[in-house]
Amino acid sequence: MDELGDIIQEFLVESHENLDQLDRDLVALEQDPGSREMLSSIFRTIHTIKGTSGFLAFHRLETLTHAGESLLSRLRDGAQQMNPASADALLAMVDTVRTLLGSIEETGGEGDVDVESVIAQVQECIEDPSAPKAKPAAAKAKKAAAPEEAAAEVQVETETEAEPVAEAAPEPVAEAAPEPEPVKTVKSAGPSPAAPPAAEETGQNSRRSIAESSIRVDVDLLDTLMRLVGELVLTRNQIVRGVSEVSDPALVRTTQRLNLITSELQESVMKTRMQPIDHIWSKLPRVVRDLSGSLGKQVKLAMEGKETELDRSLLEAVKDPLTHLVRNAVDHGIETVEERVAKGKPGQGTLTLRAYHEGGHVIVEIKDDGAGIDVERVAQTALDRGVVTRDQLARMESREIIALVFQPGFSTAKKVTNVSGRGVGMDVVKTNIEQIGGAVDVDSTLGKGTTWRLTIPLTLAIIQALTVECGAERYAIPQVGVDELVFVDGQSGQAIEHVSGAPVYRLRGKLLPLVRLDETLGLPVRNSDRDVYIAVLQADGRRFGLVVDRVLNTEEIVVKPLTGRMKDVGVYAGATIVGDGKVALILDIPSLARRSHLAAEAAERAQLDHADTRPRGGSIERLLIAGIGERRVAIPLDMVTRLEEFPVERIERVGSREVVQYRDHILPVIRLASLLGCYDVSEGETVPAVVYTERGRSVALVVEQIVDIVEDHIESRSDLDDDGLTGSAVIQQRVTELLDVRRAILAADPRFYAEMSEITNSMVGA
Amino acid sequence: MPSRQYATFEVADQLFGVDVAQVQEVLRFHEYTRVPLAPTSVGGLFNLRGQVIAAVDLRVQLGLPPRDLNVPAMNVIVSVDDEWVSLLVDRIGEVIELDDDAFEPPPDTLAGAYRNLIVGTFKLQDRLMLALDARRAADTTVPVPAQHSA
Repeated sequence: MDELGDIIQEFLVESHENLDQLDRDLVALEQDPGSREMLSSIFRTIHTIKGTSGFLAFHRLETLTHAGESLLSRLRDGAQQMNPASADALLAMVDTVRTLLGSIEETGGEGDVDVESVIAQVQECIEDPSAPKAKPAAAKAKKAAAPEEAAAEVQVETETEAEPVAEAAPEPVAEAAPEPEPVKTVKSAGPSPAAPPAAEETGQNSRRSIAESSIRVDVDLLDTLMRLVGELVLTRNQIVRGVSEVSDPALVRTTQRLNLITSELQESVMKTRMQPIDHIWSKLPRVVRDLSGSLGKQVKLAMEGKETELDRSLLEAVKDPLTHLVRNAVDHGIETVEERVAKGKPGQGTLTLRAYHEGGHVIVEIKDDGAGIDVERVAQTALDRGVVTRDQLARMESREIIALVFQPGFSTAKKVTNVSGRGVGMDVVKTNIEQIGGAVDVDSTLGKGTTWRLTIPLTLAIIQALTVECGAERYAIPQVGVDELVFVDGQSGQAIEHVSGAPVYRLRGKLLPLVRLDETLGLPVRNSDRDVYIAVLQADGRRFGLVVDRVLNTEEIVVKPLTGRMKDVGVYAGATIVGDGKVALILDIPSLARRSHLAAEAAERAQLDHADTRPRGGSIERLLIAGIGERRVAIPLDMVTRLEEFPVERIERVGSREVVQYRDHILPVIRLASLLGCYDVSEGETVPAVVYTERGRSVALVVEQIVDIVEDHIESRSDLDDDGLTGSAVIQQRVTELLDVRRAILAADPRFYAEMSEITNSMVGA
Repeated sequence: MPSRQYATFEVADQLFGVDVAQVQEVLRFHEYTRVPLAPTSVGGLFNLRGQVIAAVDLRVQLGLPPRDLNVPAMNVIVSVDDEWVSLLVDRIGEVIELDDDAFEPPPDTLAGAYRNLIVGTFKLQDRLMLALDARRAADTTVPVPAQHSA
């Protein structure tokens, strides 16, 4: 009895694998209806299931697959052509087979799964092309006399089966079973053992080499192996550290060898758990086919890098987010045929899946050539849902605005469809990917298409991490979120600056909001901002800097989950054991990012309050001081979206105006010197510029040099205004002119505000 | 007469005991990794043969000021819901076998934090032993009520 249980188990595993293959083949067959090779492969798979189910007395399954087989044999023999109707029927049959298998797996029996309707559907396809009426009659008769018929079919089958098996054994891994193979069992116990052996034997021989070179291993065993290797890696790290302090050449050599072997072992064990991403991709052609069909769209699915391998547990975790993104791309990304044609695109949309390795990670891209994400609509929706404030929005770049779709409860779907747009969306995708230490981002061009990019670690248990020190403790930061490291050197005069209390750092001209790790963790805060490190991190589509005392090194760490009590704190993604055997906490970058976001918001609010309560003139203003010759001009920091350096030769002329190409846009440029009517003396190869962006429209204000950012209590202000200025004030003991921002912007782009109100109007109208 | 074995230890001069079946091991340890922002009852984390173990400061759980973790402390490692947790204690006592009829429910006068963690009392020859509920003692998610009587 137990042996029978094992056989059923084998049968289930193998059939599931075969069914996945079948889904893929059927969809491929639709594209290439004449492929006999494909048809033979499909036929064989169904035939195998039928044979085994007959032996195991799963009669519904047998009848069902028999019906499918009849249709397939006609297709294979060229008696009729593959068409959408027969593809639907066959796919429906595969689904029902799957349901039956599921029922067998759960209850041990076939349950009361309805097979009749599907059989009818399949037979309709057989009857359809004015086929001889004898066939359906025979099919009906078969229900009663299934075993003999099945046996007969086996015999008919043999000639065709013999040759293709050799080159295209569809289930190499499945064949590795240590258990007696179902196929073999059929052969020995089947009702008509005489005919098949010869053919089966041939197949068996050609498969033997595969069977002998691989075995089936329990996943639990692999998990245990992985865990043990993880421990070994940690122990290795500790020994390497310990040995570096003694000077025994022999011991050092042995340690180096241990180091090497451990790394190789780790790699090999990791490989045993690797599976090609095709495992989860294989279901997608079917998803895309069904979905695009129901939406009346035409979508071609292209896949690149199917063989890219990932840890199996990660594959599992990536499956749902990936499917969601693919469904989303078909549903919202790619337009209907009419819309596409109207836009001058080919009627058939293309969805490209691409997987490749990059820097210790696997990147999976889901790229469509559809409508793209409408930044304005995202912005409006984000405002409506209260995800951001108008003020924040004004400061955001379009890329950051698009990233808002990852915020919880965000969905821009015009209407709720049964596919997506129920508010469970991208935020879930993001959470799922982040849970496995990965990241997701999106890039989109309106009208051209959207690319979603998943960055996934190679394995779950062992990750690359940056270890840093803050206070007395060490912390690990997953490398996936680290963009770069900056050392704030006290000597060179670099410093952390403050914008109404919130720390910022000028990183290549752009203001980077900072989070102090000591402050965030409630540790004693160090009083000096000099000689600290800033880890530039990326999460939630925004960059921020994490201020730490010291950066130690990068090492491979084994992630240990935290228990409930520590998980609630929210700042930690787990714990690990570092080189010297001590425990270090792994920081959760997204939650730190949220904190930085909150901090930035609080700063903005505080600033707004100031603006509201204090009369103008006596208020504290954050100002960017720019130098023009000997003159100093103050620009309110509110209008500084970014600081850039443009190479002089990149500034081009359009009519009487100057422009520069900037992030795929043409950016109007105004030189502050000419605005203020003084002589432009900038000579260098690049010029610093203040970029102001509002609602996707930008202007650049070229200055001679950026002098400083100050926070000033402006009291002495004169109305001695010149053209383009609102007055002057004493800032840092020097008379500084205050720029008339609106004028400056209009000088660069006369339609700047006009367009803005048009956009606002049209959005209100929509 | 049914009896049970208790592993005993002292916290703030009071003798406590937990069912010996729940105790995995007892060890002295001194290097804890602090967990900023965690409840104060979480003394820290440490590495026990590759496992990350959370150490719960029983003093805090009992409503007392937290222990100085720079001084080595004794860890009583108990298994709670298939997870190992360390209880930080002052001193380790013996394993004693007690008859179940020596057991009495906690006195009504027992107040505050103690009351939450104690399942009963045992009268020993010269002192009282309070039987701890290991699961509740290890649970740092419950806020500790202020203690009124010593």
